[in-house]
Amino acid sequence: MYLIVIGGGTVGYYLSRDLIERGEEVTLVEKDGARAEWLESQLGSIVMRGDGDELSFLATTGIERADAVLAVTGDDEDNLVSCQLAKRKFHVPKTVARVNNPANVRIFKTLGVDVALSATEVLLDLIESELANKEPARRSAAQP
Amino acid sequence: MRVLIVGCGRVGSRLAADMSAEGHEVTIVDRNQRQFDLFATRGVLGPAFKGNFVIGDGCDSELLKRAGVEGADAFIAVTEGDNRNIMASEIAHHVFKVPRVVCRLYDPAREDAFKNSGIHFYCPTLVGAAAIHKLVEE
Repeated sequence: MYLIVIGGGTVGYYLSRDLIERGEEVTLVEKDGARAEWLESQLGSIVMRGDGDELSFLATTGIERADAVLAVTGDDEDNLVSCQLAKRKFHVPKTVARVNNPANVRIFKTLGVDVALSATEVLLDLIESELANKEPARRSAAQP
Repeated sequence: MRVLIVGCGRVGSRLAADMSAEGHEVTIVDRNQRQFDLFATRGVLGPAFKGNFVIGDGCDSELLKRAGVEGADAFIAVTEGDNRNIMASEIAHHVFKVPRVVCRLYDPAREDAFKNSGIHFYCPTLVGAAAIHKLVEE
């Protein structure tokens, strides 16, 4: 699979690293130059410096052949726009967004994002099921 | 008309003042109290302004509910961030079904990508460049 990860923060870094270890083809997009250099020193030449919400830049990432775009920056609005551009302009089959405000899980689904994940909600679910002494079965991915 | 404006900058504050003066019920949202104070001091949103201020994130659906998005006739997104304007406008249009939604986008490429979504876009980059071009050649 060819996956484009947008946002090279902590989440984007570990996500890309693990995907590469699993043998996937990954491009990691990071807008900050210094951060992009550090990421490249760790992960090799899979890092591209640029804005994951700029059409002209996205067009240079090979996005037309991507199987999925994973937008994991710390800003919900940027993740939303990246996913929407991927879907509407480049017809990427699967878009995944990290969501910081749990209320946006439902909203992102309404706005056409395939999977929206909120760490807060995942943790809340886990705590809830731990307290209720149940298996943590419920997943908080909004699937279409 | 009930109008909800997200972003209290030069355009947002001017629009809020003008529409309030025309008798519309205006609520203006911004993340920073400073913005309201700034345009109050400058006289744009002076004592004559009859609208409401709400401090908070215009991309937060709960905040928008508190600001009255459910009863709004018009929604206008004029923050400094194109992505924030897109997200706020899409929430207003698709989730809360506000009848008229206007979104400012500085980036013409984004306008092109989002234009068929039922939201009215305004791109000051294209409009401004064309207007200046015309003035230069007059």
